[in-house]
Amino acid sequence: MRFWPKEPFWQGVAVLVMAFLLIVFGIPYLPPLLGIPSAPIPNSVVVQYMLTALVGVLLWVSDNQTRWQQFKQPFHAVMVEERKKPIRMILLVLLPALIGFIAYGRVKPSLDAPPSFRAIHPAPPSSITFQGRTIEITGLENPLRTRGSLDDHYEEGKSIYYENCLACHGDLLDGLGHYSHGFNPTPLSFQDVGTIAQLAESFVFWRIAKGGVGLPNEGGPWNSAMPAWEEFLTEDEIWAVTIFLYEQAGKTPRTWEEHAEGGEH
Amino acid sequence: MGTRALVMAAYLLLPLPLAAQETDNENPAGKVVYDRWCAGCHGTDGRGEGPGALTMLPRPRDFTRALYQVRTTGSGELPTDDDIMHVINVGMPGTAMPGWEDLLSSQEREDLVTYLKSMSRFFNSSPPPAQLEFSNAPRVSDDRIAEGAEIYEQVECSKCHGRSGRADGPSAPTQKDDSDLPIYPANLTQNWRFNGGGTVEDIYRVLRTGLDGTPMPTFSDLIDAGVITDDQLWNLAHYVRSLSPEESPRIREVITAANVGDGEGGLPTSPTDERWETVDKFYIPLVGQIVVKPRWFNPRVQNLWVQALHDSADVAMLVSWSDPSRSPNEEWAPFAQQIVEAMGPKDEGSTWAPGAPDQLVVQFPLTLPTGMERPYFLQGDARRPAYLWSWRSDHDRAVEMVARGLGTGQEQPASSQQVSAEAAWADGEWRVLFRRSLATPDSTSDLQMPRATVVPVAFQAWDGNNGEAGNQAAVSTWYFLALEEPVPVTVLITPLAAFLLTAVLGLVVVTRAQRREKEIPGRN
Ligand code: HEC
Ligand code: HEC
Ligand code: HEC
Repeated sequence: MRFWPKEPFWQGVAVLVMAFLLIVFGIPYLPPLLGIPSAPIPNSVVVQYMLTALVGVLLWVSDNQTRWQQFKQPFHAVMVEERKKPIRMILLVLLPALIGFIAYGRVKPSLDAPPSFRAIHPAPPSSITFQGRTIEITGLENPLRTRGSLDDHYEEGKSIYYENCLACHGDLLDGLGHYSHGFNPTPLSFQDVGTIAQLAESFVFWRIAKGGVGLPNEGGPWNSAMPAWEEFLTEDEIWAVTIFLYEQAGKTPRTWEEHAEGGEH
Repeated sequence: MGTRALVMAAYLLLPLPLAAQETDNENPAGKVVYDRWCAGCHGTDGRGEGPGALTMLPRPRDFTRALYQVRTTGSGELPTDDDIMHVINVGMPGTAMPGWEDLLSSQEREDLVTYLKSMSRFFNSSPPPAQLEFSNAPRVSDDRIAEGAEIYEQVECSKCHGRSGRADGPSAPTQKDDSDLPIYPANLTQNWRFNGGGTVEDIYRVLRTGLDGTPMPTFSDLIDAGVITDDQLWNLAHYVRSLSPEESPRIREVITAANVGDGEGGLPTSPTDERWETVDKFYIPLVGQIVVKPRWFNPRVQNLWVQALHDSADVAMLVSWSDPSRSPNEEWAPFAQQIVEAMGPKDEGSTWAPGAPDQLVVQFPLTLPTGMERPYFLQGDARRPAYLWSWRSDHDRAVEMVARGLGTGQEQPASSQQVSAEAAWADGEWRVLFRRSLATPDSTSDLQMPRATVVPVAFQAWDGNNGEAGNQAAVSTWYFLALEEPVPVTVLITPLAAFLLTAVLGLVVVTRAQRREKEIPGRN
């Protein structure tokens, strides 16, 4: 521990710095260990964690009389010692300036895009009208899995995919087709564990049949470029392209049994 | 006889055994990968006729013809293995051909190279290709760019690419590739869409090798003939590079319209006003409308640049985009016809007819949304109508419309038209300036734009000379237009107060500490 400072003040600073590094750079490494995609930590959460760490440090230094005295020493020195006058003057200007700047950032009128909270997988309806016919979504299975040859369905689904879906979802099924940069929200990646891999085929059928316009309001139907494929494809064609999606991306659909056991979309 | 000729002779004797070896192996390693990931576009037999092929132009490559564009070898020569590997790795920007480096292992990609080559007998019957000698890029300078500009005219790049590089040259309407399909000369102001890459080295390489199978020629022969030097070719490459922005444009969601107040002559009144040069430009990529029938897979307008200003009373929006021709134009009619045929009436047919104009629609919601809700991004729906500024090149004016779905726009009566537009077309670029007052008398049929708000906005564009009309357009999803206000001085009160308060507090604490230190030195 040669680098560990002796003075409680610097020890406190060191603890805070380490906490900061851990929160900002360390924690994002955890979710991937569990197979969950990682995301950067929002600033407000960082501030909260850091405040907690600060309170912890203060509790520790004030717990013991001599340590408290030692801890206060550097503050005191900066305030009174003649030698430290330059630091004192700089801090006296910098600290208020910082506070003023933060206050400015808070009150400055800013014109940002309105926040959009989009439920990517809203609850599906229990039944839909498909080309004028009612189809029950709840409990629905892909009929092609028990009919004909899976290879044939895959090949048919492949043709449908390349004729219709490619430009958006991409040949790698990664949502990066050559049109994807034109759309916000971007087309979803089927390689991602968070899309078709965690969905039942009935849900996928509903999403393909009804598209972006068929989403409930929490899905932001006005933004989504996902076409409503009932305008273009038959029921069997949608099931075939569903088979292609799972096979090509190397994923398996969730079954209704798994669904009943308690997970949600 | 040199060694090269010897090798060549050996190859001429070899084809039979090699071909036999190929057929021996019914399932070469590359075939599995190819069938899974490439055949959807390039076709199982490699002829470029996979199920996806008809939705793209340029079409996927026919590997049986062994025509490769991105090479380090001379014009008409076969590519090296590394050349093919390079394209498979990074893809071809500006086309549907993606890069595969992340998805496929290096072994799989090497197998693919072998497999692609096995699809054409040329690779068996020709000697291994020799790489061209490329010199290193000289440092760019204004002089080099200026000389490059002269060479650009001298060797007639402008015949195809146009004076400004926007693909508007006199020969542009007649260009075809080797499969007899219409092809555009590249738009040289958008290097991020160059098939072979956008760096000055990539451009130099393309100039040396040409793009085989397309009308883009090689210019190595001009060097061999002593018309220009290798160094001058670099200057040309630097000039071409300088036509595009230094960095590829980024997409920003919010288009800001600064408030110019009433100083400096107010808002610019012409699309060519020099003051636009200093106004921030926002890049809006567009893609084909492939959501509702009839779909369109070959949009000509790939992107727009949007600039906006307001003066508290009016808003001015300048939209500019590359378009090689002013539609309608007789000279381009056959080209448009070929495009319509090549892209096929996919769903229930094309609505294009000769004489179709260029069009631009700037789309807003009819009423400012309070929550997240907005009209559907393709001109609204029955419940949430969209409010449009619609401009067409044949009428040369803009009108206000209200739409409840793509193509359903109803023009407002003449008495309540509030938007004006002035358009200018020059050197392959449209510049259309829209102007409207922020508040209008028709408060129920026009979107009202209060100051200091953020208004959703989306765009659609048509190039009539590219077979586009009706629903067959280039489209965007929603962006936002922010009508900025200068920061009022009163906003500074709070931060200033915070500053003073903390400063005073700090002083008090310090003086008190110092006083106490004098009374009882050494204590704190
Ligand atoms: C014009 C672009 C476009 C085309 C073409 C397109 N999609 Fe989509 N798709 C999207 C976008 C954008 C999303 C994400 C937004 C949303 O969920 O609506 C999406 C979402 C989806 C989802 C939902 C995945 C999930 O996790 O909820 C499925 C399934 C899907 N697409 C399948 C298809 C299929 C199959 C086709 C072809 C028949 C297709 N898409 C064609 C743009 C497109
Ligand atoms: C989305 C459709 C698509 C898929 C999938 C696709 N390609 Fe392509 N590819 C194209 C298109 C389109 C072109 C022609 C572009 C042009 O001519 O400008 C092309 C061109 C090529 C070229 C010619 C490069 C040159 O220098 O001219 C090669 C090599 C190639 N593809 C290899 C592959 C391989 C290998 C795969 C599978 C791993 C693949 N492609 C998958 C669309 C596709
Ligand atoms: C006969 C017409 C013609 C002439 C003359 C011509 N080009 Fe081209 N050029 C084309 C076409 C067509 C393409 C597009 C090929 C494609 O999309 O595959 C092209 C593409 C390009 C590209 C893009 C390369 C890439 O990687 O996609 C550059 C750069 C270019 N040309 C520069 C030049 C320069 C510089 C000159 C003059 C020295 C020139 N061209 C002369 C027709 C021409």
